[in-house]
Amino acid sequence: MGEGGIVRSFRYWHEIVLLVLIGVVFAFAQMFEPRFLQLDVQRELSTHIWEIAILCLPMTLIIITAGIDLSVGGMMALCAVTLGMLFQRGLSPWVAATMGIGVATLCGVLNGLVVTRIRVHPLIVTLATMAAFRGAAEGLSLARPVSSFPEAFGWLGQGVWWGLPVPAWCFMGLLLLTASAVGLSRWGSYCYAVGMNPEACRFAAVPVNRVLLGLYAFSGFASGLAAVLFVARRNTAKADIGMGIELLVITAVVTGGVSIFGGRGNLLGMVLGVLLIHETREFVSWRWSRDELNFVVMGLLLILSVLLHRWLTPANRNTS
Amino acid sequence: MEIRGLSKAFGGVQALNRVSFGIHAGEVHALCGENGAGKSTLIKILAGIIRPDEGEVGFDGRPLAFGDVRRAEAAGVAVIHQESVAFAHLNAVDNLFVGRECCRFRGVLDRHAMARQAREILGRLGEDIDLNQPLEHLPLAQRQMVAIARALLARCRLLVMDEPTASLSAKESKVLFRQIETLRESGVGILYVSHRLQEIFQLADRVTVLRDGCWVSTDPCCDLDETTLIRRMVGREIAARSTARGKGPQEEGPRLTVRGLSRAPMFSDVSLDVYPGEIVGLGGLVGAGRSEVARCLFGLDDFDQGSIELNGVPHPGGSVAASCASGMALVPEDRQHEGLIQTFSIGDNLTLPWLQRFTRRGVLRRSALKTLVTRAIKRLDVRLQSTSDPVSSLSGGNQQKVVLGKWLAGKPSMLILDEPTRGVDVGAKEEVYTLIRELAGEGVGILFISSDLPELIRLSHRILVMSEGKIRGELSGAAMGEEAVLRLALPVGNGQGVD
Amino acid sequence: MDRFSKSSRWIALMGRNRAYGIFGLITLTVMVATAVSPSFLAPANVNDLLVQAAPIVIMACGVMVVILTAEIDISVGSMMGILAATLGVLTSPRHLDWPVPLAALAIMGLGAGMGAVNGVLVAFGKVPSIIVTLGMLTAFKGGTEFILEGGWITDLPEGLRFLGTGSILSIPISVGVALVVVGFTGWLLSRTSFGRRVYAVGSNQTAALYAGIPVRWVKLLTFTWSGFLVGVAVLVSAPQLSVIDSGFGTGYELLVVTCVVVGGVAISGGVGTVAGVVMATLLMTMISTVLIFLKLGENATYWSRSIQGCFILGAVLLDHWLRSQKRGWGRGES
Repeated sequence: MGEGGIVRSFRYWHEIVLLVLIGVVFAFAQMFEPRFLQLDVQRELSTHIWEIAILCLPMTLIIITAGIDLSVGGMMALCAVTLGMLFQRGLSPWVAATMGIGVATLCGVLNGLVVTRIRVHPLIVTLATMAAFRGAAEGLSLARPVSSFPEAFGWLGQGVWWGLPVPAWCFMGLLLLTASAVGLSRWGSYCYAVGMNPEACRFAAVPVNRVLLGLYAFSGFASGLAAVLFVARRNTAKADIGMGIELLVITAVVTGGVSIFGGRGNLLGMVLGVLLIHETREFVSWRWSRDELNFVVMGLLLILSVLLHRWLTPANRNTS
Repeated sequence: MEIRGLSKAFGGVQALNRVSFGIHAGEVHALCGENGAGKSTLIKILAGIIRPDEGEVGFDGRPLAFGDVRRAEAAGVAVIHQESVAFAHLNAVDNLFVGRECCRFRGVLDRHAMARQAREILGRLGEDIDLNQPLEHLPLAQRQMVAIARALLARCRLLVMDEPTASLSAKESKVLFRQIETLRESGVGILYVSHRLQEIFQLADRVTVLRDGCWVSTDPCCDLDETTLIRRMVGREIAARSTARGKGPQEEGPRLTVRGLSRAPMFSDVSLDVYPGEIVGLGGLVGAGRSEVARCLFGLDDFDQGSIELNGVPHPGGSVAASCASGMALVPEDRQHEGLIQTFSIGDNLTLPWLQRFTRRGVLRRSALKTLVTRAIKRLDVRLQSTSDPVSSLSGGNQQKVVLGKWLAGKPSMLILDEPTRGVDVGAKEEVYTLIRELAGEGVGILFISSDLPELIRLSHRILVMSEGKIRGELSGAAMGEEAVLRLALPVGNGQGVD
Repeated sequence: MDRFSKSSRWIALMGRNRAYGIFGLITLTVMVATAVSPSFLAPANVNDLLVQAAPIVIMACGVMVVILTAEIDISVGSMMGILAATLGVLTSPRHLDWPVPLAALAIMGLGAGMGAVNGVLVAFGKVPSIIVTLGMLTAFKGGTEFILEGGWITDLPEGLRFLGTGSILSIPISVGVALVVVGFTGWLLSRTSFGRRVYAVGSNQTAALYAGIPVRWVKLLTFTWSGFLVGVAVLVSAPQLSVIDSGFGTGYELLVVTCVVVGGVAISGGVGTVAGVVMATLLMTMISTVLIFLKLGENATYWSRSIQGCFILGAVLLDHWLRSQKRGWGRGES
């Protein structure tokens, strides 16, 4: 082994790649658009990324278990519609929001139940529920928007507290909770074990079904929370909320080095992935003010980060 | 065929180191060695799957092209890979022909010709296989026969067989051996890889031994006996084979009592007792239902009828967690898929079932886990550099020790071992035996499943033999002999193996 | 054996090939819809339905071949967008004004080329296909807007319009093309060595390598085929619209994958037939039309997506149930 062993056993190559890429973006920004890096600008630009970041938390863990949840957008829509309709019927927005999150969590539980009981690939299950949830939201609301929420509720999406937007605090609180659950309790190990070898997990008395059910429910909860923040920020609740967001979230998570085949990846990488994608996109629109470039850059970043990871890791180079 | 100075390294590990030997036309040449001796690397080079770093293979006087499966096939090399290498979703015909289809013209299949040839070759092997069924619906032995037929179809001049009898019954092995004889007479060279020494002595003309990637010896089979062969493979004398069976059962209530356990269609009406300190062997052919019984006892599968008592307490089925909590453990048959999580470190693998026990207020007690790992490693004498290395870096024998250690860490009172020495090399086998005896000496009840008859007889105090899902008989003391076990294990009537 | 009645054998048949099960569902849906409003089976409506399904079927034939090798292609939706935009720019008199046949060839070639890029990255770059095509999905979306420069194209030439709306022998061109594609794909998969190799690669890649199958080239070809068919689908669908804008094709990737999966193609590769996929596509496209014909009031159409989702879940649950039934017989017989 010797020196090769140290290089090989170093597990954070992907995080280094991401840091370098982020550094490149920041260096460019410093050279051409110094104002881009100022704190108030960054805060202004960050308004919409927090919802995606919140969705990335459960998605990271789910992908680590070799699953996937395509229905996050659908669950967001159901939550938003529940919120809007209950508010319209005279409930306080706070109560309505709680109910909305509850509905989304239930949707997540439903995903989890189908995945664990019927043992169908989660890609197929959530592909179906993505359409079912979104359709239910459209059907219930007849695609009509609800708006004019009280200002106090809007604070949840637009307010600033201790120098950071309120959604940012939500994300960081949730990140802290998730990270400590992964790092300190046994559930973190279980997630990775389920992703690598579910059969061996059954032999080792790992409660595979409870792990999966919990994660999909968590995904529902996070979607609900993201939807509430979104509604509060835009001051409208409509069934088309979060259309296509699942692909954005998966892109961010995978750019963050989480293996789509399960068992590999971590929350740190995911956070860096979100940061890289966000900064690149914002910088590109800031400098060239052309949104379409955004997409091209994002797609290429995704492929590039995985390719770089492949080429740079000694362990991978050997197998290929 | 002449192999000259083949070398191949993976990463820093020298898998083959200047290996040279020859295989004559019309001879069965056995290749022996422990796991990791370089046998599979050699096979992959011959099959054209990987390229050697140096050396060459002369075939009929011409050098063999490396790194191209099709050119190797065209040159006349056919390989029977181990059973897992088949297309489970495709039917037998496709499995036989994919990659070298019969075509009417460029790329358009001649399906009639393929079906005809398939029927003919399978008929020669005495197999009656439903050609339209996907392979996954066929029994294991038939799948293996399809793999053999595939190699025979190639009209090869060198046939490489990698553990072809691993999942065959005695009857099917005999059919295979007859085919090997026919091929030998027609002048085909055969390279035969097997862990079963008996077969080697029965079949082979010459034996080549590899150890740690190096060539050790090539001798005519008649000049060798089993002890010499094993010594060459291991490179040292195996510690005197102890046949002592330990104290035997102690005079207490049974650890495990099973009455009338059934799960259709796998097995029915299984009753057995295991006493503290007793090693109860469970013998039988592959597919007799032994592993299925083990899975039910451990709670992986539900059972239809019957009862299980553990230490005198009725034990509910269907929950692995409950089994673990009440002191039962199962060392599964398939190490790769059921036993280990290959990317996890050795330590993480050892502690995976016990995480809940080492949690205080939801937080893992890392230091306690560490002690657990150190103790387990010490007891099992696993050779490793660091417990945080991935478990995949260990050899087969050491991996099996980790699987064992994983369960011993929970201090079980009842241990079920399903083929604990499969794929484990000769040296490590002895260590596993010693460990099993020690455990029995400590009063653990052990249910020991094995297809290796000598091992089953050496270790067990009592042997139950299963066939077709039923316990056919019990042998103990002097009555335990290979023939006796086999007689009970062979199915009654001739409906075996074929639906 | 006597216990197993006719009906359970019928279920066994359905279990063997998803196409039969979906055919049953289609028949049921058609019967209900026709009972409520007989005009459902009117030639005009059937014609509309088939025209609507044609481009999806064409793309599903490509994507299914990719999924059979245990890979996935989710870039088809935005590839459709970028090819439609290119088609518009190439043929529109105000832009490049190419002759229609030349532009058509270019679009098919370009589609195949884009597919090949996906294929090279997957097969030779060893990047997981879901990542490659997810990346391409995003990149193509940007490319589309880049080509259209935020605007849209309305002045498609007449010759091109004919590809989308014309018909020969009273068969709409798009439907005819779809039939040819379906027939060819079915033949390719079941009667050629390439087809067998596609299944083999998806069933067990290691075994395929050991059997001397050029796995990487097979994968490259499947992605190229998928891209080529996206080009074909664009040629027959884009000219149907009066406007080509950047939203064209959005969300099609999930629709196509849904049809393929509901059609019984295993996402893990190696299993599936063209017939199942075609049936599933017909069923999926029928749902929204059926809702209109069921006269449930205009609000009902808002639920169409939801019902689509429930149908997928239903197909999956049915499959699960059938398989458990089959296992039950296996026990009984042996």
